Amino acid sequence: MRGLWPMLLLLSAGPVAADEATVGVSIDPETGIKSWKYTGDGLDIELVQVPPDFIRASYAARGLPKSVSEAVATRCVFGTIVRNVSDRPLSYRVADWRYMKGDGVELPIKTKTEWLREWHGMGVRFSWSILADDPTFAVGDWIQGFTTMPEPHGSRLSLKVVWSIEGEAYEKVFSDLECAPAPDDA
Amino acid sequence: MKKSFRISNVHRHLMMHSLAALALLLVAVAADAADLPPLGHKMNPVSPPLAAPGFSLPDMDGERHALDDYRGKVVMLNFWATWCPPCRREMPSMQRLYEKFVDRGLVVVAVNQFEDPDLVFEFTGRLGPEPTFPILFDRESRVSEQYKVKGLPTTFLLDKQGRIHYRAIGGREFDHPEVEALIESLLDRD
Repeated sequence: MRGLWPMLLLLSAGPVAADEATVGVSIDPETGIKSWKYTGDGLDIELVQVPPDFIRASYAARGLPKSVSEAVATRCVFGTIVRNVSDRPLSYRVADWRYMKGDGVELPIKTKTEWLREWHGMGVRFSWSILADDPTFAVGDWIQGFTTMPEPHGSRLSLKVVWSIEGEAYEKVFSDLECAPAPDDA
Repeated sequence: MKKSFRISNVHRHLMMHSLAALALLLVAVAADAADLPPLGHKMNPVSPPLAAPGFSLPDMDGERHALDDYRGKVVMLNFWATWCPPCRREMPSMQRLYEKFVDRGLVVVAVNQFEDPDLVFEFTGRLGPEPTFPILFDRESRVSEQYKVKGLPTTFLLDKQGRIHYRAIGGREFDHPEVEALIESLLDRD
């Protein structure tokens, strides 16, 4: 558990460097944890690296079986904060989001519904931690949760986020995201 | 854009005495409220108002509370957990709101998700102000499913007839004048 607490201070943003016009990248000076933030077209979204040890420790503290924690911790996980900053209802569906590796092929994101189907099938009634997959946000609503991809720790990928406001669709691609490194590499 | 973060005494204590209380701090904004952007206060209308699903859940002492027990009162129904940073941030404002309106017929009911009552008791004992409203335990999230709660915290405002009039997803400052005005309007209705 040593070192867990500093890792939790994920959003203690250090200097922000704009790697693109509208994506701010932050690195926590203590932990080295990176986060990416975008605000535009009515959406405010932040992606934060989540280290596998944090996932293991926190799931274990909830009494969840190792099979549940390992299934998440072995993936590339970003803590994801989504906020409606528009003046109208905003919706998204994680099923519409895609991530891309170096070859550019678009791959689906495992949704909360799919995770819960697995967990509930194992008799685990825990329903939280994964990002809600199809909410509609009224003005000022916001939410947070994990976005998971079956990619190695430390790998790089892009994420296409899609949302809509009263039927008008928007998207934003986060390029060159870095999955949290494996514990030995941190 | 730089934010400075501190670990509050509450968090230090919880870290020492119960790591479980820290678990699933998803994106882990473990900071004093003063370091973070202010919470919003907007509660969004549910139109037309919907009948709130009934439930019966235990409190910390195992005593059961049913939603029907509060018929005739205005109910603020909050779904939360200790590991949820915005849940922790908004709870003191709920208590202040409760203290202001309890004598006029407001009830705040906080429905905890998936946590042990001992852990929650330790957590709430260190809040300022300490909650005096009922905290109920929805260990398998069956009630939150009935309310179609997508994420924590989510809060509903019910009229005296048990109908949902307002909803908020994400943390709020509930003792804001605009929220108080909503409470007033519901208290004034039969």
